[in-house]
Amino acid sequence: MRALALVAVFTFAANAHAQFRLPSLDVNRLVDTVKNVGKAVKEIDEPEEISIGKDVASRLLGAAPLVPNPGLQRYVNHVGRWLAAQSERPDLPWQFGVLDSPNVNAFAVPGGTIFITRGLLERMRNEAELAGVLGHEIVHVLRKHHLKAIQKGAQSALAGDAMSAALKDRAGPARDKLIAFGTEMYSRGLDKSDELEADRMGIVIAARAGYDAYGLPSVLQTLQAMSAQDSTLALMFKTHPAPGERLDTLSERMQPVLDAHASQAQNAERFVRQVKK
Amino acid sequence: MKRLFLLICVPALAWAEPATVIRATDLKQQPATDAATVASLAENTAVEALERKGGWTRVKGDAGEGWVRMLALRFGGTAPAKAGASGMTQLFNVARTGTSGTQVTTGVRGLEADQIAAAQPNPAELAKLEKFAVDAGAAEKFAAQGKLAPTSVEYPK
Repeated sequence: MRALALVAVFTFAANAHAQFRLPSLDVNRLVDTVKNVGKAVKEIDEPEEISIGKDVASRLLGAAPLVPNPGLQRYVNHVGRWLAAQSERPDLPWQFGVLDSPNVNAFAVPGGTIFITRGLLERMRNEAELAGVLGHEIVHVLRKHHLKAIQKGAQSALAGDAMSAALKDRAGPARDKLIAFGTEMYSRGLDKSDELEADRMGIVIAARAGYDAYGLPSVLQTLQAMSAQDSTLALMFKTHPAPGERLDTLSERMQPVLDAHASQAQNAERFVRQVKK
Repeated sequence: MKRLFLLICVPALAWAEPATVIRATDLKQQPATDAATVASLAENTAVEALERKGGWTRVKGDAGEGWVRMLALRFGGTAPAKAGASGMTQLFNVARTGTSGTQVTTGVRGLEADQIAAAQPNPAELAKLEKFAVDAGAAEKFAAQGKLAPTSVEYPK
């Protein structure tokens, strides 16, 4: 019965926008279509989420490979896995990677894959700052921010059976389009409200894990001190609210939580030993 | 004399950066709300940020030295862009044969918007990523080594 309803939704979307051809997507039109289709869309289940995430992660690794330093990669995995254990989805196959890029950025991929760039890591001073950023990214996975955005866009872009095919057949052309669309999203960014929510909830996760809650605000202050014209910041600034605005929002909403957990661990020595060598 | 003392101390600190107080705020003798107030700083007062401790940043300025609320500070962002960064970055991002020897790519890689949009799968790196993952037990041990005590915190409403 549920499947039948789905087919109806997909068919509607397909008919309404049969003129759509990937890969030249008209994003504004996609968004409008989704609004029309409403909320009667299939929830992508967890195995599908993980599978989509793997394929998107593989593409992002095609854009920038991992830093060839196993010790560093394991260190970031330990911090990240400990944070994820404090979240509402502790049993996802969490994995964390440091991308070999001078750009300052971090990415959350559906299903529990988190990337941070070497450029961002090098600007941090301690483990609490790393925890703040990873906490922010973990929230994107918890709240399925990217998954929902991928689903929104792809459902109206792909015809009904193409969407089911994309989920079923990992080697087919529909899958390829879905993953290309999902990857391209990282060049456009999420809604501002998703980013601000990830800031607030990410601070809570870092605090739960025993870290100084000021780690994330501290990183935001570092970014804010950098020049907006710095080319390594271009994409991050394009896809996120300005650091000053994020700090203002935290100041309004998070001061009590921040102060209650301000004297927790920073683990600067361990961080420096692992990252700055 | 006080000035000399500062000169000796400053190099030992992590950083010293020009910053501005974004709202009227108290300059405190210690990093705590109930500490004595050194001075009241008006909105837009220029200071130099020296170090952070919890939610407080030690600053010095015309009104003296002390601690202000970290979130009341904003740093300047007017430094010129790094010259030639984009060109050099691209040069270094030209993909080489991966360390695994299985991945040969000839395009320009990197994390600019257009490079992400055009990215192709890299299964060899994905396999490495999976290999570096750790389980919950290992993470717990790591947390204990770092004296990280889990604590219960609610999300804000």
